[in-house]
Amino acid sequence: MLAGLLGLTAYFLPLFQSSATPLQTSGGGLLNPISGPTQPFTVLLLGSDDDTKFAQDQYNTQSMILVRVDPANKQATMLSIPRDLWVPIAGQGYTGKIDTAYQKGGVDSAIATVQNNFHVHIDDYVWIGLKGLVKLIDSMGGVNIVVTNPVMDGFYPNDLDGSNPYGYYRVALLPGPVHLDGVHALQYVRSRHGDLRGDFARSERQQQLLMAMKAQASRLSISDLPDLARAMNGEVKTSISLDRMRALFSVLGQYNGSAIHRILLGPPYTSEGWADGQSVVFPDWDRILPAVQQSFP
Amino acid sequence: MIKVATYAVLIAAMVAFGFGVYRVAGAMKSDAGHAVRPSSTTGVALPYTMYVTQSGALYQFKGGQFKQITGDNGWTEPSASPDGTKLVVVSKHLNYSDLYLLSPDGQVKAQLTHHEAASIEGNHWGFLPRFSADGTQVFYSYDNTDPYGSSYRADLAIFERPASQGGGAVQWTDPNQYTGGDTYPVPLREGGLLYTRYLIDDKSQVHSQIRLVPERGAAGLALTAPAGDCEQPALSPDQTSIAMICRHGSTQSTELVLASIDTGTGVIGHESVLVTGQMAAAPAFSPDGKTIAFLAPVQQGGPFQLWTVPAVASASPAAARPITQNVALDSGSAPVWIR
Repeated sequence: MLAGLLGLTAYFLPLFQSSATPLQTSGGGLLNPISGPTQPFTVLLLGSDDDTKFAQDQYNTQSMILVRVDPANKQATMLSIPRDLWVPIAGQGYTGKIDTAYQKGGVDSAIATVQNNFHVHIDDYVWIGLKGLVKLIDSMGGVNIVVTNPVMDGFYPNDLDGSNPYGYYRVALLPGPVHLDGVHALQYVRSRHGDLRGDFARSERQQQLLMAMKAQASRLSISDLPDLARAMNGEVKTSISLDRMRALFSVLGQYNGSAIHRILLGPPYTSEGWADGQSVVFPDWDRILPAVQQSFP
Repeated sequence: MIKVATYAVLIAAMVAFGFGVYRVAGAMKSDAGHAVRPSSTTGVALPYTMYVTQSGALYQFKGGQFKQITGDNGWTEPSASPDGTKLVVVSKHLNYSDLYLLSPDGQVKAQLTHHEAASIEGNHWGFLPRFSADGTQVFYSYDNTDPYGSSYRADLAIFERPASQGGGAVQWTDPNQYTGGDTYPVPLREGGLLYTRYLIDDKSQVHSQIRLVPERGAAGLALTAPAGDCEQPALSPDQTSIAMICRHGSTQSTELVLASIDTGTGVIGHESVLVTGQMAAAPAFSPDGKTIAFLAPVQQGGPFQLWTVPAVASASPAAARPITQNVALDSGSAPVWIR
C-alpha cells in the first residue's frame, strides 16, 4: 500500500509542486470561493503579449474574455471584450484602453475595471502569456480548428523566441479543418493584419480556440494533469484551484457547442474612433449592458 | 542473515510495486497528440496508388502500406498530372513557399517558382497547385502584391503558369480584399476553373463559396450559396459529380457533400450529405469515380486519419470507414489518388 502511494505521489509530483506555486491573485487568496461545480460562476480570461518588449508582469492584456459557466443547466457564455475599449480604469484615475488596466494596476485593476464597467461579478481569473498558451496547447496534443478563411499576415510578431522582440515574419494558414500545434494555434488567434475585421476577427478566433480546447480537454484523463501542470508551471496565473480546474474541465466536457453562447462586441455595440491621439473602440453602454445583464445575471 | 534477506526482498518488492503503480498511472494518459509515422504502420488496402503528407514529408500509400518518398522538409499539398507521371508539390518555408515538380517516387525534377526574397516583405506564397487537364499548365494560389500599395494586404489569387521551368504566370481571379483571398483551384477539361472565394457579410461573418470561372478574368458564377460555407471542391474523373466540404456557419464541424454538376452551365444538382458531425476535410475521388477519400479525426479532437466513403448520393454517413487509425495526416493536403 505504502509503495503504491509512493508511486502515485511520484507520478503526480508536478501537480503538487504546481499547487504550491502562486495560483492566486496578487492580493492573495481566492477572490470569491465557489461552493462547487453546481453553482454558476464567472471567470475572466486574460491573454498577454509577455515578450521582452515589456517589463516583468507589466503587460497589456491583448485578449479579455468573460466566461460564465452554469453547470446545472449545462450552459456557458463567452463575451469577448475589445482590447481597445475606451473605459475608466479602476483605481488608476484615468480613462484609457481597457487592455492597459492589467499593466497599470495588475490583475486586481483588470478585474475591477471589467466589473465596474460591465456591472458583472467575477469569481475567478486566468492569465496566460504567449509561451504559456503554446505549452498548454502542445501538452494537450494540439487542437482541431475549422479555419474559415485564409489567415494571411505579412507582419506577424517574431517575439516568442527571437532576439529582436520587434522582429516579424510572414504567416499563412489555409482554410479548412486543421490540427494545429501550439505555435500555429497562437498564430491563428494573434494574426490580424490581413483581415478586414481586424481585432474583431481575432476575438472570434480566440473564442473558437477556447471551444477547440474544450473539445480537446474532454479527451484528457487525470493522468494527463501532471504533464499539464508541468507545462503551465510559471506560465499561467489563476485564482482557480487545481481541484476546481479539474471540476471545470469535467463540466465543460459535458457541453456541446450549441450550449455555449458566444458574444462579440462589434458594431452596433461599439464604434471605432480616436481619443488622446489613439485609435480606440467606444462602447455603447445602452446596448451593451442589457445584453451583458441577460447573459451574466 | 535470513531476516536481512527477507527485508531486502520485501523492499525490492515494494520498490517494484511502486514503480509499477507509477508506470500504470502514466499508461492511463490519454493518447492526445500521439501519432506515428505512416511508414511505421499500415492501413486498409485500397485499390490504385495514393499520396498523402505528414509533417512535411510525402508518403505513397499502396496496398495498405505507406512508403516515405521525400524527407521531412516542408513538402505539402501534392497533386498529380493527368497521366500520373509527375507530381506538383508545395515546398513550404518560413516566409515563402515554392512549387516543385517531383517524379512519382519523390525525386525533384524541377523548381517551378522562385518566391524567396532577401527582404521579408519581398517573399511570396504559392499554394494548392493543380495541373490543367492537358497537363501543360499549373493553377495555384499566389499572394500577388497589392495593386493599391498596401503592405498589409496579402490576399491570395488564382494564377496559372506553365508546368515546366520558365514562362510567366497570369492571374485568373480578383479576390475580395482582406478576406485572405481565393483558394482551391480545380481546372476543368473545357478550360474553365472551379475555385473557392471568401466574403464577409454585413454582420462581419465570413463565408466561403465555390465559384466557376469559364475563362481568365471573367466574373464567373457562384455554384454554392454563401450560407453553405462550402470549399475544397473535388471533381469526379468524368466531371459529372462534385464533392465539397461545407460548414453551414459552424466553426466546430463540417460536412462532406456530394452533388451532380454541369460544368458547362455551373448548375449543381441535389446535395447529399455523405459525412456529418465530423471535421471532414480534403475530399478526393478515386480514379474510377466510385469512392471518395477524405481526412477526418476518428475521435473528437484527435489527429486526422484517412477515410473513404462510396461516391453515391444514397450512401449513409455510416458508410464512411477509417482507413488509418494512428497517423496524423496533414489535412491541408487532399489525398492524391491515381491509377
